[in-house]
Amino acid sequence: MDAILETRGLGKSFGHFAAAADIDFRVAPGELRAVIGPNGAGKTTFFNLIAGTIAPTSGTISFKERDVTRTSGTRRVHFGLAKAFQTANLYGDQTVHQNCRLAALAHVQGPFAPQVFRRSKRLRTVDDIAERALSRLELDELADVRAGDLSHGDKKRLDIAVALATEPEILLLDEPVAGMSRDEARKTEALIRRLASEMTVLIIEHDMDLIMGISDSITVLHQGRVLATGTPGEIRENPNVQEAYLGGHSQEEMHA
Amino acid sequence: MLAGDVRFLIFTAIGLAAFPLALHAVGGYGGLATQICILSVAAIGFNVLLGYAGMLSYGHAMFYGGGGYLAAILLMRAMPAHPNLWLAVLGATIATAALALAIGSVTVRLYGIYFALLTLAFAQMVFFIVEQGGEITGGDDGLQSFPNALLPIGPWSIDLTAPVPPIDMGPLGTVSDLKLWYVFAAIVLLLVLWFTRALTRSQFGEVLGAIRENEERSLFVGFNAATYRLAAFAISGALTGFAGAMRALYDGTVAVDSLGIDRSGSFVIYTIVGGVQTVFGPVVGTAIIVYLENVLSGVTPLWRLIEGLIFIAAIVFLPSGIVGTLGGRGKRGRRALFGALRARPATGVAPPAGPAPAAVDVPRETNA
Repeated sequence: MDAILETRGLGKSFGHFAAAADIDFRVAPGELRAVIGPNGAGKTTFFNLIAGTIAPTSGTISFKERDVTRTSGTRRVHFGLAKAFQTANLYGDQTVHQNCRLAALAHVQGPFAPQVFRRSKRLRTVDDIAERALSRLELDELADVRAGDLSHGDKKRLDIAVALATEPEILLLDEPVAGMSRDEARKTEALIRRLASEMTVLIIEHDMDLIMGISDSITVLHQGRVLATGTPGEIRENPNVQEAYLGGHSQEEMHA
Repeated sequence: MLAGDVRFLIFTAIGLAAFPLALHAVGGYGGLATQICILSVAAIGFNVLLGYAGMLSYGHAMFYGGGGYLAAILLMRAMPAHPNLWLAVLGATIATAALALAIGSVTVRLYGIYFALLTLAFAQMVFFIVEQGGEITGGDDGLQSFPNALLPIGPWSIDLTAPVPPIDMGPLGTVSDLKLWYVFAAIVLLLVLWFTRALTRSQFGEVLGAIRENEERSLFVGFNAATYRLAAFAISGALTGFAGAMRALYDGTVAVDSLGIDRSGSFVIYTIVGGVQTVFGPVVGTAIIVYLENVLSGVTPLWRLIEGLIFIAAIVFLPSGIVGTLGGRGKRGRRALFGALRARPATGVAPPAGPAPAAVDVPRETNA
């Protein structure tokens, strides 16, 4: 099958330090792919390269067979590639509903719409998209709450809902359950599982229970390079992966 | 048009009709009312940028003075025989909008104090170019005694320097020094206020507010923040340039101090004293400061000191300005001002409250 997202020889160097190097990566439509790796493996760099937050120093990124290597993150959103932030990044003063509404507005109206007289209130489709995004993350009951007043877990879920309101084809999630309680994490896991049945999901996560439980396939990064790609079972049994993880930890942690 | 718009226009029109009478009652003269209306339009333009886009310009005199010079040059060079006020003012406004687009395409990439300093640098550049402009700009002397432009409306050509019939206010005296210029300036101000109100409630204003609150998030929901900021800069510059053109035609003269740093600073003071992020704030701030300047500068040489104290008092005690405070905005204006001074794009990510959660990276199975 054709890949929805593909990178070839993707790399990012900061001076002499290669945070990501020579990454060949393919995600099939509908797949739920996880990217894991020890601290400093280049996961966040890779995520930022895909989202368009930073520009690569080598290689290419293509999305739906279109080269987006030099395309801004804002444009990529309109192509159908949306990201949720690792630390919830919201309009804290706006309501939960308005947070999603703004994302839906961008989706419907495009990157720049100088509507200096018309109010957006009349755009019913925008409201519909926002409400759908909220209900998919089970935030409907909090629609009128100020986003800044939400709990940590609800903020992270709202961040995903905002990304969803741009109607993406591929959703990038950066540690979606980080800092959540066990119950919140479990609830979010179920929601992500449901989203993954409707779209492609690329997830970066430290929580191994989550990764092993929900991923179709896993890519392991180590020192900025792809160490292995395979099903959760294959990754678990891979001696190189075990080596990389144990090697990345201090003596105390190993004996703990 | 919505019922709210009609009510807004009617009440504002009543206020503007009463304004020169009230000003007369406290010792102001007719021309001052006209000057306040025109300067208010410039301050409103400045507030579009500071209040709604969250960008503090310290160079708006380049648009104000620029609009004035452009209108004067258009009158003197392009239509000396048939001076037409519409053409002079609209031509100058379009040209200032183009100037704002050109300068904005460089400056809107910067934030906070860096943005303010770069706008100041551009304004100083414009100042020196005009000062060295020789015959075209009149150099240090500026341009004087250009033809009195008539305002063509339908078959009529109206001379705005004609007097308004005296208005008898009984015990408060008679207002006899108003010219038609006031009527014109008041109508212009009314329309600019209505436009600004519509702008801030429009989809454009909504997105501008979103970018002001959290630019990083806005980029990743798909808003092209730089283009929105540039559009706000251009609208702001055009409004201020429009006011500058009106002022030059009203005065019949234009001088380099209209491009100076004092003029740029005055828009900051008018807007903050009156109320940043409010539709009427810039008008009220302009009225109060210009009136006090007019009254006090004849009485004491310490006027500038008093003006400075008023500005400091507003920032410390009334950060939402007079209109914002009366409107119940409390101290919200302070956040708007701090936001405009922040030297990087806004993000909604709160600084971490404690140490980051420890990363648990080891797959359970391999660890066991």
